[in-house]
Amino acid sequence: MKALFVEYRKQRHLSVWLIPLVFLAVLFLWGMAGQRNLSDYDLAQGYSYLLYQLPLLNCILMPTMLSVIASRICDMEVKGQTWKLLFTLQNKGSFYDWKFLTEFLYLLLFCLGQLGVLLLYGILYGYTEPLPAMLFLRHLAATLTAGYAVLTLQHILSLLSTNQIIPLLVGLAGSFLGLFSEFFPSALARFVLWGYFGAFVPYGIHWNKETEEVLLIPREFPTGLFAGFCVFTILFYLLCRHIFIRKEL
Amino acid sequence: MLHLTINAENRKLKGSVIWIACFLIPVIPAVMGTFNYWMNQAILTGEWYSLWSQLTLFYALFFYAPLVALYCSYLWRLEHLEHNWNVLMTLPVPVRDIFFGKLYVIVKVTLITQLWLFLLFCLCGKLVGFQGFPPVTILAWTLRGTAAALAIGAFQLLLSMCIRSFAIPIGLALIGSIIGFLLSNFSKSLSYAFPYALMLLGMNSNSYEDRMTDQLIPFLVSTLTFFLLFCGIGILILKKRDVKA
Repeated sequence: MKALFVEYRKQRHLSVWLIPLVFLAVLFLWGMAGQRNLSDYDLAQGYSYLLYQLPLLNCILMPTMLSVIASRICDMEVKGQTWKLLFTLQNKGSFYDWKFLTEFLYLLLFCLGQLGVLLLYGILYGYTEPLPAMLFLRHLAATLTAGYAVLTLQHILSLLSTNQIIPLLVGLAGSFLGLFSEFFPSALARFVLWGYFGAFVPYGIHWNKETEEVLLIPREFPTGLFAGFCVFTILFYLLCRHIFIRKEL
Repeated sequence: MLHLTINAENRKLKGSVIWIACFLIPVIPAVMGTFNYWMNQAILTGEWYSLWSQLTLFYALFFYAPLVALYCSYLWRLEHLEHNWNVLMTLPVPVRDIFFGKLYVIVKVTLITQLWLFLLFCLCGKLVGFQGFPPVTILAWTLRGTAAALAIGAFQLLLSMCIRSFAIPIGLALIGSIIGFLLSNFSKSLSYAFPYALMLLGMNSNSYEDRMTDQLIPFLVSTLTFFLLFCGIGILILKKRDVKA
């Protein structure tokens, strides 16, 4: 815990919490743009429709947001060239883990904030759909897991790059690839790490041309895929941690 | 003196990672946009125009401005390291030349990015079997999008100059792009008052018909106004504010 406290001391004037907060505000604005002229039918599936839309938005926003958070937090040791001194005081593995945890807490803040935004819409626009608590939890778990995997990549890249253009470039390319993977056949999309924000979306969609209504078709939660992805993220984290510990800085 | 600062900035770009961004990022929308076009040929019947819409749809909406922001952050990166601000500000060079030297390089790299995207578009068109050459109007849209980058380039250069973090201006550019997209959907006239929306309008993404046939003048006036405004603010800050090295 002392190491976590030290990490927060280092970030005192960086205002990193503003990054997820500003992205949440943008998310809120985006959602608001789609909340005009809501019919009774729209209100009856208000939460579900947003839960269908959010993963796509996350594909665009989250890779870049996570690259900015990781770069902002890891940049200080890179810029200050304080590695040698730092590792005489703190174990490399512990440093890696606690720094990652501070980044992960911002990710958690963003994900919980998303649920808050959904609830806020429900209150502001008077959704008649009962609160789908299970789908909320499912969305939280899926977003956190995908975010964890992407953050692992951004964390190691930000720590190992003396020039922060590389992690930021990967973050931008990730947003692009994640977004496009949404339009790929699902088997192909599963090879794109950033596409996992949209892999566990709880609904499919059918557009009725005659009534101009959007029909949401519930999807089974892909438990096997999710379990496999969880195992992958843990192994990926351990691999990146191993690379960092072995690397001469 | 300006040509000396341009030479210095150009020298910084030799063998730099910025070229990876310049040549790699446009490949993603080219490959994926073409793939998307290929999968939906039944409904996308406008040939070159349809392919253009698929290539530039997300590029112009969300990634063009962050890419320019990445270039700008990279150009100011050296100044933010060590005590380089002190060195820069004690050089016998007018600050406006420092700012314009960097801006010139940003515009050059952006133009190369845009022409590379257009070249990829031509190659992809040939790959999917289109006859002849793409319409000249699409080249005009590409260059119009580059003109919009003048305003964004000046603004991002200003942000990267003031914000010491490499990453924050890039995040802000993504947020700006999204707000620009929302504004352009909400009201077209409001879009001219927001610099990030100009890129979207200039590139004419996701549309077969030119949405700006009768509005080229407001677009150019808006671009020029933002360009002059941000350059002015940037130079004024360089002149008046004490550096934090």
